Amino acid sequence: MIILLLLIPLSVMLLGVAIWAFVWAVRKGQFDDLDTPALDILVDTDELPPRVRKEPGDAP
Amino acid sequence: MNAVGAVAVAAGPRVEAVSATCFHCAEALPPSPARLFIGGTERLFCCAGCAAAAQWIRDARLDDYYALRTAPAVRVTDDDADLAVWDSEEVLAEHARPIAGGLELTLLTDGMRCAACAWLIDRGLTREPGVLEVTANAITGRIRIAWDPACTSLSRPLHRLLALGYRPYLATGAARERARRSERNRWLLRLGIAGLGAMQAMMFAEALFFGEASAGVGAMSVPMRDFLRWITFLVATPVVFYSGWPFLSGARNELRERRAGMDTLVATSTLLAYGASVVETVRGGPHVWYDAAVMFVFLLLAARMLEQRVRNLASAQVDAIARARPTFAVRERADGSRECVRAGALAAGDIVCVAAGEAVPVDGMLIGDDACFEESLLTGEAQPLRKTAGAAVFAGTVCREQPARVLATVVGQGTRLSQLAALVERAQAHRPPLAQAADRIAGWFVLGLAIVAACVFLAWRAHEPARAFEVTLALLVISCPCALSLSVPAALAAANGALARMGVLPVRADALDRLARTTDVVFDKTGTLSSGVPQLLEVSARDGFDRAHALRIACALERDSRHPLAAAFVDADIQCMLHARTVTTVAGSGIEGDIDGVRWRLGQASFACVGHDDGALWLGDGTRAVARFVMGECTREEAPDAIAALRAQGLQVHLSSGDAAEAVARCARRLDLTQAHGRQTPEAKLDYVRSLQREGRVVAMVGDGLNDAPVLAGADVSLAIGDGAALAQRAADLVLAAPSLLRVPAAIALARRARAVIRQNLAWAIGYNLLALPLAAAGLVTPWLAAIGMTLSSLAVTLNALRLARATQKVRA
Repeated sequence: MIILLLLIPLSVMLLGVAIWAFVWAVRKGQFDDLDTPALDILVDTDELPPRVRKEPGDAP
Repeated sequence: MNAVGAVAVAAGPRVEAVSATCFHCAEALPPSPARLFIGGTERLFCCAGCAAAAQWIRDARLDDYYALRTAPAVRVTDDDADLAVWDSEEVLAEHARPIAGGLELTLLTDGMRCAACAWLIDRGLTREPGVLEVTANAITGRIRIAWDPACTSLSRPLHRLLALGYRPYLATGAARERARRSERNRWLLRLGIAGLGAMQAMMFAEALFFGEASAGVGAMSVPMRDFLRWITFLVATPVVFYSGWPFLSGARNELRERRAGMDTLVATSTLLAYGASVVETVRGGPHVWYDAAVMFVFLLLAARMLEQRVRNLASAQVDAIARARPTFAVRERADGSRECVRAGALAAGDIVCVAAGEAVPVDGMLIGDDACFEESLLTGEAQPLRKTAGAAVFAGTVCREQPARVLATVVGQGTRLSQLAALVERAQAHRPPLAQAADRIAGWFVLGLAIVAACVFLAWRAHEPARAFEVTLALLVISCPCALSLSVPAALAAANGALARMGVLPVRADALDRLARTTDVVFDKTGTLSSGVPQLLEVSARDGFDRAHALRIACALERDSRHPLAAAFVDADIQCMLHARTVTTVAGSGIEGDIDGVRWRLGQASFACVGHDDGALWLGDGTRAVARFVMGECTREEAPDAIAALRAQGLQVHLSSGDAAEAVARCARRLDLTQAHGRQTPEAKLDYVRSLQREGRVVAMVGDGLNDAPVLAGADVSLAIGDGAALAQRAADLVLAAPSLLRVPAAIALARRARAVIRQNLAWAIGYNLLALPLAAAGLVTPWLAAIGMTLSSLAVTLNALRLARATQKVRA
């Protein structure tokens, strides 16, 4: 049972870390918009795209 | 997802027309549309503005937007708005706030229809030089933009925004918005900490339960038990005092006002469970109840937050529509030159220039040329009114077709718009307070409980002093009115959430109860039962002219005009092959243009064929009439079904409209309504509602225009149709975001179910307490059993409330 004396403070510390992470996320505005970022995963953005890209066959 | 469904259904009957709409905005195409390759396919566009926007989107490699969007974009008008005013010192000083590296400003826009729009704005504007950060929110229609004033002026990214079809408006009350956001964040923090803490506390409590239960071999040693208790104390303290602060401060306010409400109950039971636990921890007593305290705080906080979130969402949308009042105005100086000023800076006697499509900022007199004004905000009437010089023009009306010059006579609070708004506020104040019954019950309950607890304590002290404290505590814990105070907010939150998913946004918290008690529904015809869009009712050809050909000519003439009647022809059109040239609009009369060498005129009889005006639309060549078109408003497609559904719910349906008696009678006949009244002024409508109320009926009013607003506020419960005017929504209890009347019977059905659930919950909570109270008083319940009983009872109530949310999902599926 003596191991609890180590494990329980550890779990409390983990709780502290979780709360700190949550506070950080709220302060950073991670919960401000829950809809738009969901679209990001659908789009490839490996590299920064060039500003302008031309395609053949544009009407003038 | 809803939007996709709606678009698909709308396009269903005329599939062949789908390919003939603009790729960007899905509006009808002109005879020679602009063409552009997007993703390897040639797409057609209705105008240069849409094509330019699409080209930019493609070139910036943001064409994923077209794949992501669930609703078509707004038509991009290529008018070059003057955005220079955004760079002016006074705007920046008043609305921008400094951040690290630049300035930040919140603006509103009206074109955001789905999350993809927000994504596009986000990506599109971030690429502009000097822009530091952009966050767009499609739900609230707000954009937060941070930029470096040293690199760029604000108007440059805003030009980009405008070129994409989103017109920027100044978000009024930026401070209020900021306050709302930080308030929401605080609630989130409270809820998160309560959740994490409750989880941990429950874990320790579990260990303590086991330690107590297994009293024999595996029993927990006393030091270990105390250690666990102190750790739980550590975890529970911030939950009770930080997360539970809203309840504690609410209770303090209630005590100060010398009344015992729900907050008092919540705070008392939390503090009792917590305080008793601390005492037990210190003196090494047999049991602690930290878990009960933290779980209570967490559950209640979650229920309140859910309820608040839905309400905030509703009012944010209403706020976003409030942009009908212009922020900026163009003032003509004495020398004829023009300057852009804030609307608030205008004074009586100023000459204001209003561009076509913009709202008039003041009440005044029209000077110079004739102009058309759409007064839908004031009267609910969609048809623009033609006014001649000297006529009165009202703030909030929208100038159509050509720009106008207005001599301001009344500004600011004195305008008709502001006065009507004041009328609305007065009518709102008149409403009797109904939502205090639960608070009263709670007040008596807490008082009664305190007396009972005191009696039980004294009795046990006389009978068996050693157990007095334990029994009293068990009594207080088990009859802690958690379930009672959770029952109403949990059901309200679930019902409000279900309503919001259905497309009905509750603006006021207590609307649901009154909606459930409704016995009569009063409709306002304009824009509620009818779609507000003109429709071609009848076409008759003259002198043996081909009817279909006449339609084609009229269609070709109307196609390029932005006149509201044009939409009727575009909708009626099947195959519009003709091309009209040199189309000109003759103000107040009609339009004319060349088709196959003939100069056709479409409009009033006097204009088209030198006839006598009869209210119909004539097609002619200036002397001879060839066809006559009768226009009228069509009833909404779903109106008969909605009315039938309302009748099936046992409700009386009335119609009270400001329109001409004849039009109202026609509409009533079509919809089989017996109680229809035409030519009603707002005051008469209010009287009608009041007379119904005097008969003891509970009236729900469905409206859309601002002239409804006093009636909406005077009725027991009011619903506003989402695409109606802005202020009406402010006065309404519920806003129908989806413009479908079927939502009205659906909302009433849900409100009735919610009322049933609230009754079940109250019955359960009170029944449980009545049953548990004698048991606890008799000393038959140990405190830990009491804690479990209380938690289970709260859980039962919450789960019962959640049935409301699940039931609507089933309906939607």
